[in-house]
Amino acid sequence: MRIPFFSMFMTSPFEGLQEHAEKVKECAWAFQQAIECHLADKCRTFEEFRQEVIQLEREADTIKRRIRGHLPKGTLMPVYNFLLFRYLREQDQVIDSVEDALDWISFRSEPGIPAELEKEFVILTDAVIDPIEELSKMVVEARKYFKNYSEEQRVVIKNIIRNLRQQEHEADKAEDMVKQKVLNMNIDPVTVFHMVRLAEIIGSIADHAENAGDMMRAMVAR
Amino acid sequence: MTQGYIVLIIGYIFGFYMAWNIGANDVANAMASSVGAKAITIRQAIFLAAILNILGAVFVGSHVTDTIRKGIVSTEIMTDPHIALIGALSALLAAALWVSFATWKSLPVSTTHSIVGAMIGFGIMAGGFNVINWGNLLAVVLSWIISPFFSIVIAFVVFKIIVRLILSRKNSFEQALRLSPFFIGITLFVVVLSFLFKTPLGEKLALGPQAALAYAVLVSALLGFGATVLIKLSVTDITSGAEEIFKKIQVGTACYVALAQGANDVANAIGPLAVIYFLVKTGNVGAKVPVPIFLLLFGGIGIACGIAMAGHRVMETMGEKITTLSNTRGFSVEFAAATTVLVASKMGLPVSTTHAAVGGVLGVGLARGIEAVNFGIVYKIMVYWILTVPAAALTSMVIFKMLHLIF
Repeated sequence: MRIPFFSMFMTSPFEGLQEHAEKVKECAWAFQQAIECHLADKCRTFEEFRQEVIQLEREADTIKRRIRGHLPKGTLMPVYNFLLFRYLREQDQVIDSVEDALDWISFRSEPGIPAELEKEFVILTDAVIDPIEELSKMVVEARKYFKNYSEEQRVVIKNIIRNLRQQEHEADKAEDMVKQKVLNMNIDPVTVFHMVRLAEIIGSIADHAENAGDMMRAMVAR
Repeated sequence: MTQGYIVLIIGYIFGFYMAWNIGANDVANAMASSVGAKAITIRQAIFLAAILNILGAVFVGSHVTDTIRKGIVSTEIMTDPHIALIGALSALLAAALWVSFATWKSLPVSTTHSIVGAMIGFGIMAGGFNVINWGNLLAVVLSWIISPFFSIVIAFVVFKIIVRLILSRKNSFEQALRLSPFFIGITLFVVVLSFLFKTPLGEKLALGPQAALAYAVLVSALLGFGATVLIKLSVTDITSGAEEIFKKIQVGTACYVALAQGANDVANAIGPLAVIYFLVKTGNVGAKVPVPIFLLLFGGIGIACGIAMAGHRVMETMGEKITTLSNTRGFSVEFAAATTVLVASKMGLPVSTTHAAVGGVLGVGLARGIEAVNFGIVYKIMVYWILTVPAAALTSMVIFKMLHLIF
């Protein structure tokens, strides 16, 4: 505090935001591995991947709390702090939903996903992986924009947000396909419920990624 | 008058100590933006700051010294040389004590406020409350409120202009190059004007205000275009965009801040010393006596010594802390701070360089230029700043009483 000039500068919340986005991205890989393993016949490593996601979620949570805890009133930022918090919330819910999906599978690991639905679930899983990975790229590009305020950079971000919206739409379609198929199958009703709910949880991953994109759009608004 | 000479020697020592402290503490505010934005290295910063603080102190500085010496405390009490001597010494001691205390406790206390507070304390002790020129004091206090605000506005506007005219454009690099004579020219204009306007140099050249203005415009226009040519030649990496050009311009603004700082802050150290000097040499302080150049030089060298001896440590921590400040931001901050300080010192107002620099950062922060700035710190600074004046005044009064008993 001796030199007031220094005490004004604080750790940027965007640094934390980027770190958080990296965690989310890391969990995408573990999630995909876990689902693929679960779809395979003899899966031994599902639990390992689930634990990895749980660990990543915990780390992301710590980062989230660190960002929230280190923004005193009167912090000047390129964006309103409530937008930043809303964005962070959505980004955090992406990783939460990933964990939820794996948890939901683990509650009833036998008999697992019916063979007829395997293809649909692979499509659905792939559809939500892309938006997760897009998030960290978006944060990096946003930081660049807040540095140079160039119009071209804004377009780059807007394109990412458009991609997210597109990908969410794809994920929605995949989710509907699963639901439509499973509801018309003549199987154990508990399995039907398990599958429908699973599809919804996986689908919500893309929803939250899209919401994060919407928040980002508000942040880079002129 | 041997006793007088002892006081004069003590005055020199503490005057130097005050100047040293200004150099050690306040230089960081001046050079932080340039070092943080990697426009200059720490070594270069120390070198530039030392040289330009001396230059600013000697050629631009004398005006503020007058205000601290005579403007706040009326010259009536100066008629008794004995009391005036003790008073000036106690003011100097009190200010030095406060600056040391602040350094020890890591408090953000401005040397400017300490010295003004100490002068008030001495005035009250020597002649009661009515010797204080409340009108002048009010002007000084107002300048402390206005100067950060002024700096905020300039930084905000400059940064917004940079965003609007350069950064958001398609070819920001070429746009920056095209507009750089304008930015350099304005900077130089204020600098040249400060050298010519109301300074011994200006009087020697016998320039009136209009002539000084005309010369400043001419010189800054010429130098502005010259500097742009230099930048054009030295910048090779076009892909790096506008920041690269402002990196070059920032070398200039760093000098600008150091110059303004020398001009303004030298008074804090040698204001009371000048009183002591005149009392000892002439036996009384007249209504109008110029501050001799060598005293300004003495103060300037004191500041430079502080920079050279302690500046390195301060600036190392600074380089780590200020990483979010890019060159366009640094330019806006420095331009705002230096302009504020230089204008204030030309008006004879002893403002704080620190507050001007803080204001500059807040201005850029308000213009959404920095990822995170703690605005709340301003309130903390303000509390210490309000406390410094009465605290230094009280200390000065106590020391005055003690010295009065001794001598």
